[in-house]
Amino acid sequence: MNAKAQKAKGCGIEPAYYDAVTQAIRSEAVKVLKEGAVSAVIGYLPGRRKSAAVPAVVTTEEEAGRLIFSPACVNNLSLYLTKAKKGILPGGKIGIVAKGCDLRALAGLMGESQIKRDDLFIIGINCAGVQGAVAAGNGQLTEASIAKKCRECTAHTPEGVDFVAGTLPHLDGLTPLEAEELARIEAMPQAERWAYWKEQFSRCIRCMACRQVCPFCYCEQCLCDKNRPQAVESSPRPAGNTAWHIVRAMHLAGRCAGCAECERSCPMDIPLNLLNRRMAQELKELYDYEASMAPQEKGPLNQYKEDDDQSFIK
Amino acid sequence: MPQIITEANLRSLIDSLVKESKLVVGPKEAGSMVLYQPLSNGADLKLGALPRRSSKELFFPICEDILTFGKEDGVTKVKDVDRASFPDAVLIGALPCDAGSPSILDAVFSWDYNDDFYLERRKKSTIVGIACTSCDDACFCTAVGYAPDSPAGSDLFLTPLKDGSYACNAVTEKGEKLVSAHGSLFKEGAAADAAPLAAPDTAKLDLAKIKEWLNTHFEDPLWQSIADVCLGCGACAFICPACHCFDINDEGTPDHGTRRKHWDACGFGKFTNHASGHNPRDIQNKRYRNRIMHKFKYYDDKFGKTLCTGCGRCIRACPVGIDIGDILNKINVQAG
Repeated sequence: MNAKAQKAKGCGIEPAYYDAVTQAIRSEAVKVLKEGAVSAVIGYLPGRRKSAAVPAVVTTEEEAGRLIFSPACVNNLSLYLTKAKKGILPGGKIGIVAKGCDLRALAGLMGESQIKRDDLFIIGINCAGVQGAVAAGNGQLTEASIAKKCRECTAHTPEGVDFVAGTLPHLDGLTPLEAEELARIEAMPQAERWAYWKEQFSRCIRCMACRQVCPFCYCEQCLCDKNRPQAVESSPRPAGNTAWHIVRAMHLAGRCAGCAECERSCPMDIPLNLLNRRMAQELKELYDYEASMAPQEKGPLNQYKEDDDQSFIK
Repeated sequence: MPQIITEANLRSLIDSLVKESKLVVGPKEAGSMVLYQPLSNGADLKLGALPRRSSKELFFPICEDILTFGKEDGVTKVKDVDRASFPDAVLIGALPCDAGSPSILDAVFSWDYNDDFYLERRKKSTIVGIACTSCDDACFCTAVGYAPDSPAGSDLFLTPLKDGSYACNAVTEKGEKLVSAHGSLFKEGAAADAAPLAAPDTAKLDLAKIKEWLNTHFEDPLWQSIADVCLGCGACAFICPACHCFDINDEGTPDHGTRRKHWDACGFGKFTNHASGHNPRDIQNKRYRNRIMHKFKYYDDKFGKTLCTGCGRCIRACPVGIDIGDILNKINVQAG
């Protein structure tokens, strides 16, 4: 294989980039643990499989020295700071490794008063991208394996963090896939679009991975788990599946940070992030709101302004 | 002399079975993945990839109606599902890690209570298993006593040959019947060399030792360390060939509705939530422990079998990379 072909295969991102980010994370994590600045660091450890990484809460310098950043570091770790994972963290300030997309979730959670900036030491990553589905192989990022969200990333460089790990390499522009797909679906006649989503939701097995992996699905009582009375059918059938996915998308409108973890986690490959993006588009048009790395005190759907658009009230 | 079937005849076999009004289920392309689905003809069969979900749903559907109820003249009448109408079925192209699961599940579905829905489907099904020729780094069938060429659970077992045909080994009477009823599609003859089998890169586990360790480690820091990252979703259980927990829900209105049985998962926080509000598995630690205990201790205690075929689906699907193969290896090492 010639050098040019190799570069194309690897998306132009050299493994040395990930090694450098890994080294930077390790030394900073070890330092803040040693100084006692944090009681734990939430980061990634290598999995048994070459193409896998696992989220981890490390509390010792030794463990911190094993932290990694690789294309397999897909998880949005902000989830581990939420109520959904309460009780797993020691008290005191917590260090957390965050990609740009994860930072938006951290900002959103701050805006919803779920976490406080002062309680965190954020190790931001100059992020070149991560893989989509975890696949077998050597773990190297290719144009075929890079996550769809990374193809259209606008958050490569972290903002408002305590430490920045790595230097962003030159990134070859990748064509957007998700935006095109969204436009294709948007252009469908309504009946066809409805048929498209019915087909997608028909595959849902109600494993709830999309809910459990979402940093914003921290409700202690989910409407969809209620059975007295039952609000959404819990059996995996078309009616309940459709209701669940619409409830999910609506409840995340104006809150979703766009990390696309729901879609990545779906074992049935339902393109859930298309719904999130559609909602985000709506929020942008109606309220000029978009998820950002800076915490905003109140999301647009959590407040009322007299000049809010009311044209939908008929 | 073994019986041989060519690939073309295997597809013709499916066509014939469909014509006989049998429900034929096999690996079929479904968008971005392969799933075990009803085949409408031989061309639908897609061999060579592990379907995303296991084949257990042929016997134990994701969701099924178990009765309907409705008010007539002020009296609630209940109508049973006619199980006699379940079709005769042939599961074709099930890999050993899937073909092996019904014979594990038979024990629990015919234990103190006979699950007539499962058993009726099971009785009416013939399983045509196929040796496995490709694997990835999540596969660990050989670690838990299965193998890429294990005919366990199959009625008829196919071994892919280098010339593209299949050697057929009738394991049970059902398998023999399937061959004799379609004799013209099979021929006796010398088999070509077998195609190379999959070779999972995994060491054999000492399941007896693992069970011994589990006997004495109900409380262990291991469970919390997994629970720290586990999200409590049901992805691992739902795509598992051996997980078989289900919930029963009445859906509809008090006047008219359906009682449904559908998959449930011990990872869910509400799985053991009692009507009183008490939840004996109130934290993820206890829930994940149950997953391992059930598979490698409780099921063995009760039925003498391990509730895992090493398909690796849970490893591939876990959103946070929890790797049961890795956990079992660690327990195996600790158990000495």
